[in-house]
Amino acid sequence: MSQATVPAREGLKFFGRVSASVSHEIKNVFAVINEAAGLIEDFTLMAERGMPLKPERLKSAANAIQGQIRRGDTIVKNMNAFAHSTDEDVREVNLAELLGLTVALANRLADMKQIRLTAGDCEPVSLAADSFDLMLLLHSSIAAALDALSAGDTLAVGVKPENGGASFSLSSPGKDAPLANDEAFAQFARSMGADVGVDEDNRASVLRIQPTARPE
Amino acid sequence: MSEKVLLIDDEEEFLNALSERMEIRGMDVKTAATADSAVAALDNNEYDAIVLDLQMPDMNGIEMLKAIKVRHPDMQVILLTGHATVEAGIQAMKLGAMDFMEKPADIESLTEKIKKAQAKKMVIVEKKTASKVSDILSHKGW
Repeated sequence: MSQATVPAREGLKFFGRVSASVSHEIKNVFAVINEAAGLIEDFTLMAERGMPLKPERLKSAANAIQGQIRRGDTIVKNMNAFAHSTDEDVREVNLAELLGLTVALANRLADMKQIRLTAGDCEPVSLAADSFDLMLLLHSSIAAALDALSAGDTLAVGVKPENGGASFSLSSPGKDAPLANDEAFAQFARSMGADVGVDEDNRASVLRIQPTARPE
Repeated sequence: MSEKVLLIDDEEEFLNALSERMEIRGMDVKTAATADSAVAALDNNEYDAIVLDLQMPDMNGIEMLKAIKVRHPDMQVILLTGHATVEAGIQAMKLGAMDFMEKPADIESLTEKIKKAQAKKMVIVEKKTASKVSDILSHKGW
């Protein structure tokens, strides 16, 4: 990965896409909490009018609220980590963690296409990189791979060390390497200093990156 | 008369809670969590109103709205969305949606809109019936 290769507008569009997706998910969380809390209110109003109150119904509505608060908390934590990815231009990045975060942020995209997105095999690897640019590259590779797959498929993304750098693999069981024919994405990856290839052994697309030089 | 409503949304917990609240308010509610099950529910039942999520995994709400209007042109559709944009609202209204609401929705406003949808549907059905009767009378010699 080389520095200053991503046009500012591309970065801004990526930030916008992720923010829009996250805000939409939070709205859905609020919508469920709103209805579950409303249901509790309805039950209490009915009880005031003499109808028997069923404790299990109250419990299930309260459980729904607690579950959505946990969901909302995870979404906000991920958004916070994403926002902090711009704190430093280059730093030592734990790639398995970064992959996990990128997968979490891309999950809604996969859900909308009815594709199961998972973090696959991740070996411990860290290298000097611009974590925002790296997430942009990885998120774009996931989006391009999802475009090549169909509803019901699974996309697994993994990472391992390779030749002083690292390689991300994107594979779908029973399918060819999902980025194999995507020249537009390959061109974008090259512009960011990454190389796109195919691992014939496990029919995976491979995204190879090298450490970024730290600024003087 | 209880309003017959089809509620379409991929968030199952949202569907369960909202449908129960609507039932408490006297409505007859069916739910669908996918576009496919919504199409099947639509073809097998009559509804006064459909409450439709704008973003479904297997079909977006605008596409679903178009499909509903082709098969059931008189159907009253209220779109619900997590992120209401002016453009999506205008597009939905142009395609024949009755109304457009942002999540989280206020149950009283939604109930009011559903009652309006039922009234509108009744007017359309009455007009159609009157037109059919008039047509029969003009063609029969008795």
